[in-house]
This record gives sequence, C-alpha cells and structure tokens, in this order.
Amino acid sequence: MAEGGADLHQMDPEAFREHVRSFQFWLDAVEGYLEGTEYGHQPDTPEAILEPLERDRLITVLCNYCMGETAALEGAGGLIAIAPNRATKVFLATQTVDEGRHLEVLVHRLRELGVAEPELEIDRRASPKLKSFKIRLHEFVHGRDWEAALFAQNVILEAMEFAVFHRHARTADPRTREILEGIIKDERRHIGFGENELGRRLRGNGDVRERLREVRRELDPLVLGCFEETLASVGTPSDERVDLSRSYVQAVERLGFA
Amino acid sequence: MTDFLKGYDIQYWLESAPQGYLEGTEYGHQPGEQEPPVVLQNEVLHEQAIRSTVQLVLGERCALAASSGLINAAPDEASKRFLATQTLDEARHVEVFTHRLHDLGVKKSELESTLKEYGNPNLVKFAELLLEKVDKKDFVAGVVGQNVILEGMAFRVFEMLHAANESANPKFAHILSGTIADERRHVGFGENRIGSLVRENPDRKPDIERLQKEMSYYMLATFGDAFRQGPSPEEVDQILEKEGVKREKPGEWQGVKLGQATPEELEGVLGDTILKEFKLRLGRIGIEYQTPIQP
Repeated sequence: MAEGGADLHQMDPEAFREHVRSFQFWLDAVEGYLEGTEYGHQPDTPEAILEPLERDRLITVLCNYCMGETAALEGAGGLIAIAPNRATKVFLATQTVDEGRHLEVLVHRLRELGVAEPELEIDRRASPKLKSFKIRLHEFVHGRDWEAALFAQNVILEAMEFAVFHRHARTADPRTREILEGIIKDERRHIGFGENELGRRLRGNGDVRERLREVRRELDPLVLGCFEETLASVGTPSDERVDLSRSYVQAVERLGFA
Repeated sequence: MTDFLKGYDIQYWLESAPQGYLEGTEYGHQPGEQEPPVVLQNEVLHEQAIRSTVQLVLGERCALAASSGLINAAPDEASKRFLATQTLDEARHVEVFTHRLHDLGVKKSELESTLKEYGNPNLVKFAELLLEKVDKKDFVAGVVGQNVILEGMAFRVFEMLHAANESANPKFAHILSGTIADERRHVGFGENRIGSLVRENPDRKPDIERLQKEMSYYMLATFGDAFRQGPSPEEVDQILEKEGVKREKPGEWQGVKLGQATPEELEGVLGDTILKEFKLRLGRIGIEYQTPIQP
C-alpha cells in the first residue's frame, strides 16, 4: 500500500514513480525479506561440508562477486552526484546501501569459509576483465555521463549479476543460496529502476539509443570474458558457460537493449 | 581499525535503524501524526517552520552529496560500507524534511524556489567548501568537514530543536529523534576513523586545523542567523494567546527554558555547548581547536 493507504495502482504516474523511489518504499520492501537474517542468511542455516577443491572454487566465485559488488557500490554512490532529481538521488542512496550490504554479506561468507584476509584474496582472485569493467564504469560516472553510467551499472552489471546469481543459487550450498536469493530480490528493484529511467529517455530519442548500443558493444566483451575466466577457473563445462552467457544476453535484450 | 568498524557494519545498521527505531514510522514520524494547526494557520509560526526546515533540507542535501562522494575516496572496504549506510541515512533525512515542507504547504513546483528564498547563505557557502574537498577525493578533509564539523555541530542543534518541540509538536520531535540517532552513529565513525588516520598521517594536522577554522565559521554564522531571524518568546506567547492555544510546559535544554529564553540566551547556550563539545571531539582525534575567523 502506498502512503495514506492509497492503492499503488490508483496513483498518478509521477506520484507512483516518486513513491517507488523513496526510502519509505525501500524500508517496507526489505523489512519483509531481511528481518531475522544475519549477514544475509538465517542464523540457524547449517554450514555445508565442502571438499577442499569445492571450497576453493566457491572462494574464487565469491571473490569475483565481491569485485562486482564493489564496482556497484562505488558506481551507485557516484551516480548520486549526477542524478537529475531528488527522488532519483534517494533511490540511488537505497541502491548504494543494497550494494554495500551485498559486499558485506559476501565478504562475511568468505570469512565463514576460512578466508582470513578477504580484501587481499578478492584482489588476487578476481577476473582481470571484471576489474577492467569496474574501471570503465567509473570513467562513465566521473565523466558525469548519466545515461552511459546508468546503463553500465543498472542494466549491464545488474543483468550480469542477475544471470550468474540466479544460476548459482540453484546449486549452491544452503547459506550461499540464501545470501544469493536476498541479493537477487534487491537487484530486481535496481533493474526495474534502470529500465524505467532509461526507457523514458530512449523513447523517441534515436541518438541516445545508438550511443547506448555503442556502450554495450564496448562492455559486452568484458562481461562475456569475465564469465569465461571465472567459470573456467572453477571448472564449469563449456556448454554451461555458453548457456550462462546466453542468459545474460537475453536478460539485456528483454530490457529492450538488443 | 577493523574491530572498531565492526560496530559500524550494515548488519548492525539494519538491526538498529530500519528494524529498530525506524520500524513502523512513516516519513520519520508515527503514522497519523500531523503538524499542530497553529503552525499551519499562523503566518509568523508558519514562516518560521518553513525557514528552519529549509536549512535542514539544505544541510542534509549537502551531507547526502558528501557521504556518497566519499565512498569512492574511502581507503578501505569497511569504510565504504559504512558510508553506504550514511548515504542512505542522509537521503532519508532529505526525504523526511522535504516531506515536512510539503506538509507545511510548500507545493512540489515551489520547492526549489522556497529553498533558494529561505536558504542561509552561510550554510550554502559551507556546503560549497565541503563539496570542493569531496570532489578532490580528499577523504580526511571530507570526513572532518562532514562527520566532525557539520554533524558534530548540527547534532546539538537537533537536540535543542527536539527539546523545544517534544510537547508542542510531537510529529516534528519524532522526525528529529530518528535523525539524532543516525547522527550519533555518523559522529562516532568520524571521530574513530579520522582519529586513526590522523595518528597514521600526522603531517595532515595543520591542514585539518586550517579547514576547521574556516568551516566552523560558516556553521556558527548559520546558527546565529537562525536565532536572530526567528520570533522572540514574547511574540510566540502573544501569538499562542491570540490563537487560543494553551502554552505547554516549556521544553528545557541545558538548564534553559526554551520557550522563555531570549534569542541571545539561546545563541549563547548553544554556542557554549557546541564549542565545548566540539573542542572535546577535536581533542579526541588529535586536533587543536582553532578560533574561527570571518573570511
């Protein structure tokens, strides 16, 4: 329900947009699925017994997730300065704390798996392609290029994470699965925001669409290369790697960025 | 360093703020609470409420820009995560104080012009100075400006406003109490994190002392203006009598009866408290207080 008990479907489109970008909306949303969790999972969720190789592979995957979430945290924080209005700034502040939470729960999971110095381990194990993606995203943000930065952050990066986390959650150990499911719920909000904000700007504006296509042409090899590097390092069969890359491409295309 | 930052992680923040003192609130206050009719109907009190809320919105907008900008400048991952929570706290403050302006009758289309009309130039200058440091990715200067000077000083003003409104305007008092709880965390982080950075980089001390001297002038000037621009206690008494509103027992803060003190008395007690506490805070991070000068 919206403020004052009004039905969301009865709100005027502008008021609706402001409402779904508010702190209040975020607060109501996360109260449902984060209440009672500790670092992203229920306190009584058992730790799985992992073989040494399995554990090592999981650490590599989580280090890559942490690098992606650091890029997202710094990106979302930086986007606030160039956001076009107050409601958008407030939404991005909620996204900033979501990304910070993702980083925190993943780092905590690394510690649960016995990693003593997560920051060093993340830097050591993260894919070079992902590090390049992070640098490029920050260049868009620091260049104050709102459309390219939002596209890179809330469409490309979020679609990549969504595809990977969704796939991983299906086969993950119980604690990792719960953590990933919570992250996926946040990411639905971020993708929805990116789609809505960019969708309105793209409508009838061929120049912006063409420019974003170029951004995608530049970033896709980094994203796909990152899948390749990470999945190969954890021994994923090549047909599954292709499948995951396809999921990412489909996710971006579903958002209207073919 | 890592241990102290454990107390500022997102898990702690989630449990203490969204799932703690903010649970069940709507735009910072209890559902159904409204501005007292006299604040909406009397021209002087109405203008005073708008003027003071405008300063809160401007201060919080500055804090939102600063804390989000500092994420990229933070030297470690745990500080980045804390600043993410601070970013959302500041965005919430912008939201609840802006919402209050709308409750006071400021239309959405008039928001920016109202902020421009009533915004204190000293506060605007302070924001410019702070954001200049943030743009340069100067983490130490940014956190000193934001978490030690802006928040450290504003904290006491919020407490005084809270005491003055507790019985007269519970809605506003509730908004303020959530804000005060957030600010307490921010000030604690600033002191702890900057304290360790100053110890590690003693060469930054003169630079920080210069910054404090310059920035605190604008903050103190903002508070001074706020008292001089408001109605006196006698005027408020006359208004309440004319409007037929029973005077509540005046709120008391630092031994001063808030509804009866003159603006000069208020300015004096606030200045004393702010400066006394401010000097203590600076001492804790290894910085010696410098008397502000008029630029």
